[in-house]
Amino acid sequence: MEQKPKPYMNPYLAGFLLGLVLLAAFFITGRGLGASGAAKSVVIETIGSISPEYADSHPFYASFFATGDGRPMKNWLVYLTMGVLGGAFFSGFMSGRAGFAIDKGPRISNTKRLIFASLGGILFGIGAQFGRGCTSGAALSGMAVLSTAGFLTMMAIFGTGFVIAYFFKKLWINA
Amino acid sequence: MGPLIPQGFVNPDLNLFFAFVIGLGFGYVLEQGGFSNSRKLAGVFYGYDFVVLRVFFTAAITAAIGLLLFSYMGWVNYDLLYVNPTFLWSALVGGVIMGFGFILGGFCPGTSMVAAVIGKIDAMVFVLGLMIGVFIFGSFYEDFLPLYTGENLGSIFIFDTLGLTRDWFVFLLVLVALVAFIVTRKIEDKVNGIETSKGLFAPLYVGPVLIMLVAAIVVLWLPESPSAKWFETDAETVLGEAAEGKQFVQTEELAYKLLNSKENDYLLVDIRGDEAFAEFTLPGAVHIPADKVLDLGYKKLLSESKKPILFFGFSDTDASQAWMSLRRTGISDVFVLKGGLNQFFETIFFAETQTNTHQEMPLFEARFIERAREAFQSGEAAEKINVKAKPITTIVEMEAPPAGQGGC
Repeated sequence: MEQKPKPYMNPYLAGFLLGLVLLAAFFITGRGLGASGAAKSVVIETIGSISPEYADSHPFYASFFATGDGRPMKNWLVYLTMGVLGGAFFSGFMSGRAGFAIDKGPRISNTKRLIFASLGGILFGIGAQFGRGCTSGAALSGMAVLSTAGFLTMMAIFGTGFVIAYFFKKLWINA
Repeated sequence: MGPLIPQGFVNPDLNLFFAFVIGLGFGYVLEQGGFSNSRKLAGVFYGYDFVVLRVFFTAAITAAIGLLLFSYMGWVNYDLLYVNPTFLWSALVGGVIMGFGFILGGFCPGTSMVAAVIGKIDAMVFVLGLMIGVFIFGSFYEDFLPLYTGENLGSIFIFDTLGLTRDWFVFLLVLVALVAFIVTRKIEDKVNGIETSKGLFAPLYVGPVLIMLVAAIVVLWLPESPSAKWFETDAETVLGEAAEGKQFVQTEELAYKLLNSKENDYLLVDIRGDEAFAEFTLPGAVHIPADKVLDLGYKKLLSESKKPILFFGFSDTDASQAWMSLRRTGISDVFVLKGGLNQFFETIFFAETQTNTHQEMPLFEARFIERAREAFQSGEAAEKINVKAKPITTIVEMEAPPAGQGGC
């Protein structure tokens, strides 16, 4: 019954294929990939349906309902993300990796891992707004079109990561 | 050719369908590459697994070189690609916050979704946090505004910032990546206590990297701007045609065709200024100012015209220039009204003032001109065509993403 998961793809091949996907995105739509935009759309749609008054009075939300057809969910990045979920599930399922699990370093408990994961998500949610995109939308897509913003954001994300890694090593490694 | 949707080659309604299909590929590759495992992702910061760096760098370089080659071949118009604007401090602050998020959470947004959908509970919590983060940003939006929208440097390129040429930058980027791949492999082996690094130069590992290196050298080696793209007409051919006067259509031919609208197979293009066009033009003519012939919307109209294109101005000088520009882009059925409107009216309306030439003309031609004059003066020709000339304003509405709303 217990099936051993298939090994991951060669990272260079995966990178090459990811590059082709990115290239296709640019060739067809003129824009790159993205992921955090979908989370943003969900938040905006949710706020808009819970309290339209709040959304209308608040500039961050109002601009999304004022422009376009006022449908944050009928959005390129939302459909892209639905595709991501489909593609990832197919891949994980076919490779025997689907199933409930928590990945964590050897020295922390599950609860602690989940608390830090949610903290990380919150920070990423805020940071991706300032960065006008996350690792895929700002850094990866930006680097593909050689934009200064793309390289700056990439270096800021990973540079910060390397600088502070030491202080959070308990989360991930034994040493 | 590309990008397809901004240029109207693909029905915009299919936009969301393409988004979904591209997403499928995106999600599949991320999961296959091992991005659904936060421990693997965080490994890049502790040296035990550099999968993030390998996939990320390879993907960025592949796409960057691919776009340059596509642009070189004329398959994609680089000017229409969305280059995310650089809001200096916002980008840096955002990056630093995301760096903290990465270490604490072990994911970035795309990878968290990939992991969440195959059942990783830590990823689901991360995605939830992501939305809370967006909400927090929204709540303090007005306080963040000065930082968020300050120091906008526009859509600038990294090679300009660094003072390099684009091609050299790409080449150096590939070299940096290659060095990084080798060094990180060494580090990884050391951290994980692996003695031999036999995988370092395995064909499967070196292969894709070599392909990138070759592509980078090709980019470097290609001339800055190609003399002619594959679909273009080279300068010699156009010059030869111009010297032979192949582009000219004679006044009489046009007058005849205007009178017999069934035989009028020309798309008449008035290349004079706005005022001149508003005053009068030939029946059925469209208005494209001479300097706008190559503008995207107009060029699309011209290149898609099934009729031969006939440029006319007051004389044939400007029209010939428009002809030459358009001919160079590879469109072949383009012509110029010889002598322009001045000669047209002189021949048709004022023929009697040139009595000498009139006398020498064969009789049928004189009769033809007589009839043409009557027709134009009584407005018969305009009636026959039954199309009012109307200026073209916009053909394609370019969808420029509003600054500051770049969505990842």
